[in-house]
Amino acid sequence: MDHEHSQVFVLPALIVGPVDIIRLRRELEALDDFLHEAELRPSGGAQSLPKLSRFLDAVANQNGLNLLHSTDRSALMVALERTLKEAPVIHISFSSDPSSAFTAKIIAWFRTNIDPMVLLQIGLQPNIAAGCVVRTANHSYDLSLRKFFDKQKLLLIQKLEGAPSGER
Amino acid sequence: MTIWWLILILGSLGAGALAFIWLAARLAKLSSAGHKSAEESLQDAAKEDVEHIFNDEFREELRNRGRLHFEKIIGENAMFLQQDLRLTTSQLNDYMKAEITRKLQEEFNKYEQSIMDAKQLAIDSIQKTNAAIEEQRQTLGQQVKSEIDAEKLQLVKHLEMHMAEIINHYVLAAIGDQIDLSDQLEYILNALETNKQAILEDVRNGS
Repeated sequence: MDHEHSQVFVLPALIVGPVDIIRLRRELEALDDFLHEAELRPSGGAQSLPKLSRFLDAVANQNGLNLLHSTDRSALMVALERTLKEAPVIHISFSSDPSSAFTAKIIAWFRTNIDPMVLLQIGLQPNIAAGCVVRTANHSYDLSLRKFFDKQKLLLIQKLEGAPSGER
Repeated sequence: MTIWWLILILGSLGAGALAFIWLAARLAKLSSAGHKSAEESLQDAAKEDVEHIFNDEFREELRNRGRLHFEKIIGENAMFLQQDLRLTTSQLNDYMKAEITRKLQEEFNKYEQSIMDAKQLAIDSIQKTNAAIEEQRQTLGQQVKSEIDAEKLQLVKHLEMHMAEIINHYVLAAIGDQIDLSDQLEYILNALETNKQAILEDVRNGS
């Protein structure tokens, strides 16, 4: 982890996973191309700035960048590239598709407690019923209700074996 | 002298004997000639009488009598023959009937014996087959029973082993869609908090 980079570049909660970073990079490239073309065109022509997405806007605001400046755009591009290459990616699965607010709370916890640059890949596993399954690069944490029930299997078997004789 | 006398006497006796024999032969010859002529005459007379007695009518009468007698004899013989033939035929029929009946009876007896033997053989075979089938059925029944018992035991064991999984699966399937994700946030954050250190170590060491 590049701590210097993490101190400079802040990922907003809207940016969750590598896909968002790639989308930001593509949007930033498009903006950069547009502004570069605008510089090359003869002055006097009416040029409307392309509308920025809320993701790019949030990144620029939280990092104090002015995207009209090419140096800031370049810095942001570099930051995005380094994030994409170096940021830890954690895969997390839920029983249903999470809402944005829910995702924001989860990503906030990870960036507060694990790493400020962490990226999440969100998956779907309906068979876990509740909870989540977290998978890092070399480990998997089953924090689901299914795993909880599996852990309580012995207790359930004891209860079931005691049921016919009326034991509780 | 005496001898001479004796010879003389004997000579005279011999001559006398020869003379007698000759006389006798002469007389016999004469006698036979006369007798023959009388017999011939008698025969001739008899022939004439025969011709006189056995004339054509008498012969015809005799012929008719002979024919009738012959016919009568023929008829009697024919009757006797017919009776004998009938008797023989009847006896032959009886004999043939008895013989055929005996033969048929023997054949029937043999046939019946063969049928009885075959029947006995079939009964023995069926009894053996039945015994084998019964034995096989009992063996098969025992095998099936043991297999069913083993299968039942296996199923019970399998049910006991997987009962918890079945119930878990049922509970998860039953409540899976009923728990809202936002309601799980606290549970998830608590679980993450519990495993925070391990995740942190993984992130630090893994990337």
